Amino acid sequence: MEIGLSHYLTVSAILFTLGVFGIFLNRKNVIIILMSVELILLAVNINMVAFSMELNDLVGQVFALFILTVAAAEAAIGLAILVVFYRNRGSIAVEDVNMMKG
Amino acid sequence: MGLQALFFYIFAFVAVASAFMVISARNPVHSVLFLILTFFNAAGLFLLTGAEFLAMILLVVYVGAVAVLFLFVVMMLDVDFAELRAGVLDYAPVGALVGLVLVAELILVLAGNWVTPEAAGSGASPIPPLAERTNTAALGDILYTDYIYFFQIAGLVLLVAMIGAIVLTLKHRTDIKRQDISKQVARTPETGVKVVKVKPGQGI
Amino acid sequence: MTELLGNYVPIAIFIGIALVIGLALLIAPFAVAYKAPDSEKLSAYECGFNAFDDARMKFDIRFYLVSILFIIFDLEVAFLFPWAVSFSDVGWIGFWSMMAFLGVLTIGFIYEWKKGALEWE
Repeated sequence: MEIGLSHYLTVSAILFTLGVFGIFLNRKNVIIILMSVELILLAVNINMVAFSMELNDLVGQVFALFILTVAAAEAAIGLAILVVFYRNRGSIAVEDVNMMKG
Repeated sequence: MGLQALFFYIFAFVAVASAFMVISARNPVHSVLFLILTFFNAAGLFLLTGAEFLAMILLVVYVGAVAVLFLFVVMMLDVDFAELRAGVLDYAPVGALVGLVLVAELILVLAGNWVTPEAAGSGASPIPPLAERTNTAALGDILYTDYIYFFQIAGLVLLVAMIGAIVLTLKHRTDIKRQDISKQVARTPETGVKVVKVKPGQGI
Repeated sequence: MTELLGNYVPIAIFIGIALVIGLALLIAPFAVAYKAPDSEKLSAYECGFNAFDDARMKFDIRFYLVSILFIIFDLEVAFLFPWAVSFSDVGWIGFWSMMAFLGVLTIGFIYEWKKGALEWE
């Protein structure tokens, strides 16, 4: 069978859903939640690239590159916040993130 | 073409399976390693669509840097992960329900064959034939000129990320002595020795 | 498309062979190696002492800062590749837009240098 747009979109839909499900499943562990966000952004990137292939338009790849940049910056800052939070509170459980000023 | 389909199914299956392992692995280190496997296979998928440059950047940036950063953090935090996993299945039914609805909707909407064939190639910047321009060069042709504002914003995002990371995590320790070599070298007898006249019985 | 993927066939073959060899070496010990485990053999060995504590220990936050800064510059280099490849076609606008990009990140680099984020103490 010919591999077309719908195949890629299905893969990316499954990855996206796994990311959302991961947030539900590991709602205590911030590290896994951040990884789930990475999965969601990866699914978005697959969408972009698949449509770029289907429409024969390079803009999708350009924007996938920008999404990649923002996702990496997000991971870096998110993990930095996580590390600082751990240093101050000695825990990374989401339930403990309930004070504006520690 | 059969080979391409075969590789698509391998990459897609491994990517989905390892993404599932990312969210369900008991040990976060295993989660990170499965995340790396997911990225590898996603890079394979990118390659199959012809996005050669993005596939390599995904490997360099994600596998080479972001996943390693995750691994660092998992190793750096001395957390009892077993405790964090307690009650992991409490919200699983709700999550599974939401996930099922979401994936059904997404597949119904996206996989429906509604993209008109005429739309192909009518975009702002069509992909040039591979014989004329490689993927990387074609990206370079438009990235720095047509999308200059987005490019500069990406630079600013990186600047903010850099400064934010330094502000958040850098703490200079004050309880240790540091060596300042230029200060040591610039020391002369005049600055190094101080002659003090001490009055008897008073001290300094 | 097909000619592009044709270039990657050797890599696919290479990864396939690497997988086969790796898995063979991983699985062969299970089949042929002599095994007689007991609890003393399986426990961690630490120069005749009992193990003091967990092998996984916290390590310093400065490693983390270095790797974060590595990510940022990694992305910067990623943007340099297409620019270098199509350097003769992007013209002056492309040149100066990259110079502005590098300038912005140089500001960040100077900040990081002045803050002493690169020093190890």
